[in-house]
Amino acid sequence: MRWLHFFGLTLCSTVLALYESDVGVVDWHHPLVGVPLTSSLNTPPTFHSIPGRPPTEALLLTATSSNVLACTAHLSLSDSGTAWRFIFAPTDHIIHYQQHRDIVVSLSGPGGSTLRTFDCLTGQLILEKRLHAPHTDHLESDDVGLGAAIAFIPESDDVFALTNGRTVRRIGADGAVRWAWESADKSASVVYAKLVTTPSTVYVISLTKSSTSKTLYISSLSTSTGELVASTSVPLSVAAGPSDVLALSSDAATLIPRVVWLEAGTILSVALVPDLTEKHTSVMGSAYTRIVDIGLQNKGHFVALTMNDTGRVLKLDVDKLKVIWEFTDSGKSGRHADSLYIGGLDRDGFPYIGRVFWSFVVRKASAHVYAPHLAAGQGLVSGFTFNFDTEAHGIISHVALHTAYVKEVDLLPYLALTTSTGAVQLWQGDIVQWTREEGLSRLQVAEMVELPEQKITAAHTVDERDTFVERISRQLTDAKELHLYMLNFVKRFVAGPNASTQKEIAFDSLTRDAFGFRQVIVTANDLGKVYGLDSTSGAILWNRVLGLGWAAQIGGQVIPSKLFVVRTIADGGSPEAVLVAQRRASNGLVDTVLFHVNALTGEDVLGKSPADEVLQGVDLISGPLLEAYQLPGNHKAVILLDEFRQVYVYPETPANERALAKAIGKLNVVLRTGLPGQRQLTGHQFSNADVGRPTAFATWASSLPAGEEILSVIPRPSGPVASLGKVLGNRTTLYKYLNPHLVAVTTASPDTCGVYVIDAAKGSIVYHVSIAAKQGRCDLHATFVENWLAYVYWEEEYQWVGQTKGRRLVSVELYEGSKPDDKTRSSELSSHSNKTLAVTAIEQSYIFPHAITSITTTSTKYGISTKDIIVANENGQIQSFPRLFLNPRRTKDKPTAEEQEEWLVQYDPVLPDDAHRVLSHNYHVANIRHILTAPALLESTSLVFAYGLDLFGTRVAPSGTFDVLSETFNKAQLVFTICGLAAAIMATRPMVRRKRLRERWYQ
Amino acid sequence: MSLPATTLDYVSLGTSNSKRSKLPPPPGFSELAKAQSHSKSSTAAALGSLEALKVKRAWDFAISPVKSLPMQAFMLYMSGGGVQIFSMGIVAMLLLSPFKNVSAMNTAFAPFAPGPPSSPSTKSLTTLPLQKLAYLGCNILTLALGLWKCRSMGLLPTGTGDWLAFETRGPSPEISLF
Repeated sequence: MRWLHFFGLTLCSTVLALYESDVGVVDWHHPLVGVPLTSSLNTPPTFHSIPGRPPTEALLLTATSSNVLACTAHLSLSDSGTAWRFIFAPTDHIIHYQQHRDIVVSLSGPGGSTLRTFDCLTGQLILEKRLHAPHTDHLESDDVGLGAAIAFIPESDDVFALTNGRTVRRIGADGAVRWAWESADKSASVVYAKLVTTPSTVYVISLTKSSTSKTLYISSLSTSTGELVASTSVPLSVAAGPSDVLALSSDAATLIPRVVWLEAGTILSVALVPDLTEKHTSVMGSAYTRIVDIGLQNKGHFVALTMNDTGRVLKLDVDKLKVIWEFTDSGKSGRHADSLYIGGLDRDGFPYIGRVFWSFVVRKASAHVYAPHLAAGQGLVSGFTFNFDTEAHGIISHVALHTAYVKEVDLLPYLALTTSTGAVQLWQGDIVQWTREEGLSRLQVAEMVELPEQKITAAHTVDERDTFVERISRQLTDAKELHLYMLNFVKRFVAGPNASTQKEIAFDSLTRDAFGFRQVIVTANDLGKVYGLDSTSGAILWNRVLGLGWAAQIGGQVIPSKLFVVRTIADGGSPEAVLVAQRRASNGLVDTVLFHVNALTGEDVLGKSPADEVLQGVDLISGPLLEAYQLPGNHKAVILLDEFRQVYVYPETPANERALAKAIGKLNVVLRTGLPGQRQLTGHQFSNADVGRPTAFATWASSLPAGEEILSVIPRPSGPVASLGKVLGNRTTLYKYLNPHLVAVTTASPDTCGVYVIDAAKGSIVYHVSIAAKQGRCDLHATFVENWLAYVYWEEEYQWVGQTKGRRLVSVELYEGSKPDDKTRSSELSSHSNKTLAVTAIEQSYIFPHAITSITTTSTKYGISTKDIIVANENGQIQSFPRLFLNPRRTKDKPTAEEQEEWLVQYDPVLPDDAHRVLSHNYHVANIRHILTAPALLESTSLVFAYGLDLFGTRVAPSGTFDVLSETFNKAQLVFTICGLAAAIMATRPMVRRKRLRERWYQ
Repeated sequence: MSLPATTLDYVSLGTSNSKRSKLPPPPGFSELAKAQSHSKSSTAAALGSLEALKVKRAWDFAISPVKSLPMQAFMLYMSGGGVQIFSMGIVAMLLLSPFKNVSAMNTAFAPFAPGPPSSPSTKSLTTLPLQKLAYLGCNILTLALGLWKCRSMGLLPTGTGDWLAFETRGPSPEISLF
């Protein structure tokens, strides 16, 4: 055994730091900003021109569903890099942002509790101010974005902020509150929702929140002192929400601001004067069905839709509202989809109104841009169609407009489209400038799929029957490619292990590299898109939009549940993946749909949908999915449980049916049952019905205490186990407890968090620990592999002397029996055996340096390399922690000779926060939700893919790259030595021959 | 190679027909004839002492491995517990030499076999059985020393840990899906 220890020593002594030369070669990082929030008009993407710069250097600002305020780069650049982004805390929802001059002001948190000011160009945080406590009794949680508003007055950097639905503050650029005004009405029903400013007066417009009350309140405040000047109320005949009321203002001092609303088909408006004495007036003309805020309220423009949905542009004029334009043919029609109306500004602040729609006839998107001030004030409209790829990006859900190079009769519109699949596209006229797949920030499931070998090294399927002539001719054709093979070999020899970088193989065919570092990451998001990513670069190899099936008419959402690789290259042919998803139609019906794709190309394996159309799935279960599993063994069939616990198998081939029938008597599954808040785990087995589908029946149920909620169920990865035990220094063995039915469960209850290890076959609790929690918030993450459970939590309890609060990592190892050499053969025991509970848990706790958002272990092909822990911490780093330090048998005293043989090091409560072990270099890898690890062809190496807001990929070698020559290995010296020796042999061979001959003569 | 031309006539030095026979023998020189008169008994005695000597030598040889044990133990001690070329050499010697010795035992004891060297039984196993048994025991002692050293170096597969790599586990009778 000694040689093994020596082997181990060489492994451990390898320094495991990421070298700077490897950055960008072994790893990649795609910072994303998230899908723009287009549902609210307070947060959608908007363009911002920079004063004193060319008009093409505008910025695109947006707040996103990932709680990020972001600014993408200048439009003139063809790439789509992010200029800056600011990531808000998860509880601090961004509800409003507005740009003014060269700053961006945001309100975030409940009711807009926090105000932040950013530099528009650099994203530098200038000011952060808490305006009220981040909870609100005044607003309900579903009113996110309601009751908060920002306004500015020209020539000043002061911010007028309405927060919490009732407080207005004037805040200076330095953060000082100049004045604050709070509504006298403390009742919850009145919520102030809009601010209109003139240089002298701030008008605060509010609506009653309930659906029964119909009153519009307007208050006017002095901008300089904040004193209430006047207050009035306007009765409405219909209930109105905040989006039904517009407040128009204009830069022109002659135009008086007006509040506009729609009542019984008539647009009513009231002028805002400081004493609020004006009466409301109506706009003459046809009846309207809707008024649309196009983001130009402070420029005095909006769009109203007539009875047949024709869009009309209305403008604030002296004493009245004026219809200035009607978009022709914009009415309801079968030839085009509903129009999107949007306003935009150019650099000089002139407004433009755009209409974007999808034409069913030409299958293209069209845009009409109306410029009211051009053509000598007559107005100019410019229209064009553009090739929006609706099969790849879904439908357009939002448009932002910017115009540049305005001439008297021409203009160059830029459109920033946000699509239903989360893509953001910039169009310059009908030319697409860039596309950002922000849908990648919402990935739900991911799997890595190995690539097939390159053709020239692929083995032929040897046919026994081919004749001699055929064989000769085949070998001759192979020989033609010999030089390629030789070239490849030399290249590989010269290049070394890092050769498989994205630079070299980016445009190569989709084949695996020498060490299997290149794989396809098949992944899907909840916006109805499935992607194939290159694991060496993160580039999108293919992407498909998931079809809605029958729900396409009424709309719906496809939410991925699980992803299975049902065919690998080892099975021959192209690898295939099955995405199990639930489709929620807009009418509330839920179906289970399966999408079966070729993992290399994204093609529909079933051949139902062509490559350039949306991917149509198989409606397997008309109802929600309970769980989906994959059968072990060669068949790799997917089995699904519907809400009646009936079993479905996919693909529905006779072979799979037979495999299921054969295995079904032995299957155990764990389901979460019960109502929310009192869920239990219930073990199930299957009864093989003679008629109909097999059904699951309950065999055991957990008895979690009342109020204990299951946070997560963590199964063990099904990788191979290289060693069945751990050999101690005296050469006895601790046999690993490898019961294949184990599952780890984390729970939360009001005052404790729990970690359980449960035997899924019979429900016995193998290991349990409960941790003090604060108000039911469990910051608990666990990972479980082989017999090793590791969990990280926040330690709240500190009643005793010597205890502290802090983050802990606990490492638990489960061994068979009670002492070394006890063997129960746990991995092949029947679950009915009494010996399954003969288990010893050895545990040790460490102080962990960071809060984490995800934890996992590395995985390698044969499981021989050590398994390090990989975490995503809240500092935006991906960090690994070596197994050596997490051995729960670390000694309290100086290790003895025997313990040293086991590589035990003395216990140290603090886990070192080793900067060498940060895998993510100096990237800020934000908000990682999950880390996926997969084996490469090399036993030493494990591929890592982290997803969340950002995407990050790298590879790690937990035991060092023991199976690859090191980068510093002197190959030239080796070659020269061999060549030198060969030359020496050649030179001395005739000499030796001569000498021997002479010896025979002169004996 | 040619024969020498002259030969020495040692016969003329005989005692019977020479005038020099009358000469008294040198002091301390016993009468040959007298000696010849006791020849029967004295030959038997000489042969007996030779056999005793052989037996003694055989015993010496039989326990000779034990005599070198202290020396070997000292060498083992000096070579240390690490797995190095020196210690491995000594251990290999300790492990191999008993087998070599035992396999060559009959040949090694052949010179000490009773009876004339030409006797066919000299190389048989049954000659000198006690000595051979002792020799065997001593070699086992040497082997034991070598094995003890191996064990102390951790080279003997005595623990369960040494056989762990060969252990296998079958599949579980039940399957859990997650």
